[in-house]
Amino acid sequence: MKEIVTVQVGGFANFVGSHFWNFQDELLGLAEDPYADSVFKKQHLDMDVLYRTGETQQGILTYTPRLVSIGFQGSLGSISSHGTLYNHEPTTTSDVTTWTAGVSTHMAERHKKNLFLRSLYEEQDKTTTVDDRTVDRSGPQREYQDKDIVESLEKGVKFWTDFSKVDYHPQSLYELSGLWMDDWEFDNYGIGRDALAHGLREEEISERLRFFVEECDRVQGFQFMVDDSGGFSAVAAELLENIADEYSNTPVLLYALRAPESYVNLGKRKQTILRSLHDAVSFSRLSSYCNLVVPVGLPSLSTSQVSSFFCIEDEKPYHCSAIYAAALHSISLPFRMGSLAPTTDLHYVSGAVDVNDVVQILSGQSRRNKVAILDMAMPAPSLTGNEAGEKLLDYLHPVTPEIAEDVEDLQAVETMTIHGVLGPGGHQASAFEVKDTIHRAYEHATTRPKFCHLSMAHTPLPIPLPFPSIFKNIVGQHGELLENPAAGPSLKGSLDIHSIPMAVRLRSSSAILPYLENRLGYLRRYGVDRGAPGAELVRSWGFEKDELEDFGEALSKMVIELKPHREVSSDSD
Amino acid sequence: MSLRVLNPNAEVLNKSAALHMNINAAKGLQDVLKTNLGPKGTIKMLVGGAGDIKLTKDGNTLLKEMQIQNPTAIMIARTAVAQDDISGDGTTSTVLFIGELMKQSERCIDEGMHPRVLVDGFEIAKRATLQFLEKFKTPVVMGEEPDKEILKMVARTTLRTKLYEALADQLTDIVVNAVLCIRKPEEAIDLFMVEIMHMRHKFDVDTRLVEGLVLDHGSRHPDMKRRAENCYILTCNVSLEYEKSEINAGFFYSNAEQREAMVAAERRQVDERVQKIIELKNKVCSGNDNNFVVINQKGIDPPSLDLLARAGIVALRRAKRRNMERLVLACGGEAVNSVDDITPDCLGWAGLVYEHILGEEKYTFVENVKNPHSCTILIKGPNDHTIAQIKDAVRDGLRAVKNTIEDEAVVLGAGAFEVAARQFLMNEVKKTVQGRAQLGVEAFANALLVVPKTLAENSGLDTQDVIISLTGEHDRGNIVGLNQHTGEPIDPQMEGIFDNYSVKRQIVNSGPVIASQLLLVDEVIRAGRNMRKPS
Ligand SMILES: Nc1ncnc2c1ncn2[C@@H]1O[C@H](COP(=O)(O)OP(=O)(O)OP(=O)(O)O)[C@@H](O)[C@H]1O
Ligand SMILES: [Mg+2]
Repeated sequence: MKEIVTVQVGGFANFVGSHFWNFQDELLGLAEDPYADSVFKKQHLDMDVLYRTGETQQGILTYTPRLVSIGFQGSLGSISSHGTLYNHEPTTTSDVTTWTAGVSTHMAERHKKNLFLRSLYEEQDKTTTVDDRTVDRSGPQREYQDKDIVESLEKGVKFWTDFSKVDYHPQSLYELSGLWMDDWEFDNYGIGRDALAHGLREEEISERLRFFVEECDRVQGFQFMVDDSGGFSAVAAELLENIADEYSNTPVLLYALRAPESYVNLGKRKQTILRSLHDAVSFSRLSSYCNLVVPVGLPSLSTSQVSSFFCIEDEKPYHCSAIYAAALHSISLPFRMGSLAPTTDLHYVSGAVDVNDVVQILSGQSRRNKVAILDMAMPAPSLTGNEAGEKLLDYLHPVTPEIAEDVEDLQAVETMTIHGVLGPGGHQASAFEVKDTIHRAYEHATTRPKFCHLSMAHTPLPIPLPFPSIFKNIVGQHGELLENPAAGPSLKGSLDIHSIPMAVRLRSSSAILPYLENRLGYLRRYGVDRGAPGAELVRSWGFEKDELEDFGEALSKMVIELKPHREVSSDSD
Repeated sequence: MSLRVLNPNAEVLNKSAALHMNINAAKGLQDVLKTNLGPKGTIKMLVGGAGDIKLTKDGNTLLKEMQIQNPTAIMIARTAVAQDDISGDGTTSTVLFIGELMKQSERCIDEGMHPRVLVDGFEIAKRATLQFLEKFKTPVVMGEEPDKEILKMVARTTLRTKLYEALADQLTDIVVNAVLCIRKPEEAIDLFMVEIMHMRHKFDVDTRLVEGLVLDHGSRHPDMKRRAENCYILTCNVSLEYEKSEINAGFFYSNAEQREAMVAAERRQVDERVQKIIELKNKVCSGNDNNFVVINQKGIDPPSLDLLARAGIVALRRAKRRNMERLVLACGGEAVNSVDDITPDCLGWAGLVYEHILGEEKYTFVENVKNPHSCTILIKGPNDHTIAQIKDAVRDGLRAVKNTIEDEAVVLGAGAFEVAARQFLMNEVKKTVQGRAQLGVEAFANALLVVPKTLAENSGLDTQDVIISLTGEHDRGNIVGLNQHTGEPIDPQMEGIFDNYSVKRQIVNSGPVIASQLLLVDEVIRAGRNMRKPS
């Protein structure tokens, strides 16, 4: 199994996606870069899993993400939805060849390209094919420096395209137009459902998807990144319904992504009811169409333990999405190890799995639970010292919201990916060393999972230029933790830090119970129970009572499955 | 594209202010769309924030590209877009009519009239106009063979409002023939059975009707023929790819050997399905040099493609769901969901199947079919804009032909209906109405004139003169429309300018409904600005 088709739906998902593809683009660039660190030269990762090869009408070869991204009209900022690769000459009034009776022009206010995008544009204009990023970054002909670029991004990212360095295929970026509302109004399941009910939108999106799937020989799965905080979860659900139909048996891995700002509560009861019902309905719908759901997004990322080594601003999607994107990148590494020639040196990568394997490991074993928790360590500590494994496990912190802490779950299963970490000798830790360390740590741990699949790669997370400056001083150039950090600029970014060792873990555990129970509770309290205050509201979203009851049933099944006091006798497998 | 229309700042407005806000919003939207109307309207070039450009002459497309923020304008736009969803045309006229109803109302209200009375007048006028339309429409008899000439005239009228004349005229035949191709007596016309495909190519005039189907993909095996004659077509929805089913995936319970065995079993099942297809091919193609083409909605993986290629079969995977239906209508046979009991009867036929490649884009033409009931309009144009223009126009044209066949009637265009209806309301209806509701009837009647007036204005003519000469001619008993070159009255029948009956009916129906709602408003609460996003 090989190709993955990525689908990004909604505002924050596209922010995460933007960073995600920046990482990929950076890896591709570094592999070709003669000055790059040697760990990036031999990555042993098959990028064809995520990318497609194409050709323009002029016969120029292209290599672009296998991606469909859906966003609001106007959410692409200063970037054209057609991308630049396949670009045709700019249009002028003289190109109006179909009409002879007169043209009137209406100009919208032009989005100014920020320094970063300008620098990309200029670089492209030079038409040099060599990737001379390290030498020419601050070429003499530019009146600004990289640090100005980084600064300008810190100050003013508005659209996800503002910090994207990736060229997208013209079929990739789809804008929902003609909704006649602002993005903040597009805030619930019902509105999203309406948006696809009329016109050709759903068909257009499905056609884009078909374009990317048709050319795949052996699709291993769909990777959905969905901003499920508003109307876009309905858009994703409609799409998933179509996928379940058209591409049955192709597994879907879905990240339900939330920016901290989506948790801001205005304190009004009506608002609370709407949000709660949205959460319940949206989760019910999305989870019914995919094989594994990973909720990602803490109400306050900045104060969470994940952020021990960062200083981030919760109100900046540009910041928060960078962290989550890093985790998603790490999770995706094992998916790209399998399709390589069997001779691949196990020294560099090990633990290849495909999307289906991960789904099966986490959801299809002793218990049926398709909701996984994501834990991450960024940077992951190096595997030195006595208790290296314990330390690494300690560093892993959840980015999945509404979960229980310190639960003991004997049935827990997990997959872990560790990459770019240093071993005892200060060199890249080998697969063996990583495995050994982790297994030893689990042996000594009081709680350990029933099963843990471990994948590992040498290549750390590369930090591309448009990555935000969020690292604390203690983080070193290669993501190592400095004992006595030199006094310098208060926060470090891509100019100081080149790469980060990472560890991520997906775990199927009863710790997810609060997340599920909350949604079940919302559904009953506000939507289903007699006199429920939101009954009318959900009906206006197009759900009849029996449908809601089905949702409730499915949710309570999920809950029961995970309850520790579940009868042992009940259909044990 | 932000072409913002009226963005007032007041939060809650009192009744009178609310009314005026509604009126202004309606007028504002009217102003934006007005220049679009008719064969002399202007095409709009919208330059977006990223500098990307959209071109459109179509009211519907234009509305969708606009970022409308005013709630009243949104209501009107929704009505207009619904107009297009329902009848396929008349978006611009709808917006103009609503705007004009509001404008006429404003005058009366400023003179102290109560909106309620106006609305009553609207209701009377609407009913009378709909009755008048029944008398005014030109019936078209649709026997076995519809009158092609009248279909062409309707199609041409609408196409000429979107494309330059020569291209419009060329497309006229194409859309008429397309609809006639898919039409089945006694059944509703399903326009989805006309595929609209586009290809970048130098000349827009190379747009053509393909009797058969054009698919936007090709075979995925180097050894498969790029061109094949006399082809059996197997249309199917059968997975020909190895998929991991749930049972064989037990990850840590099964050992490697077990897993491999399961993989092999799964593979064997796929191979068997492929084998069934090959058997059928051998059966029908032995002793002749006919070809065999498989068009599958599901996937076909490389090993399956290999097997098929070796058997001399051309195979396409992941066909559009709709193409399953279209293929069968075009080529005959049936779409099968399983290859277990396929027989030669399942197969369709095409005289020619060939591939065309443009960069990474591939097209497969399935042509020379017998008695097709599905076809493809293949649009060619030098750039995306041209293609989009033609596509919009083709859609309008197809709808116009379908409507004509289903309405069994057409309506004289170029403003003829509007002037006639206006005169009818003023001369016949108004006097039968009691009290001030008369003024409502009058306002409605005058609002109808927005169509001929705007047509005149867009042609650079003096609207006043035009209206005087048109109404005068009508009062002398002649049904006339506007000659957009001279401003003189013309007989639309002679000129072949016809609009759809159902479109007109829909405009007359929906315009006053929404205008009345806007007039009877108590207060307008602006959709609450959310505090969350400062931007
Ligand atoms: N040759 C012509 N001379 C005068 N008027 C014409 C001619 N052809 C069409 N018209 C008139 O033009 C009007 C239709 O114009 P147009 O198609 O631009 O607008 P619409 O149908 O209201 O909206 P849209 O097509 O944008 O949805 C009709 O009233 C029709 O009678
Ligand atoms: Mg029209």
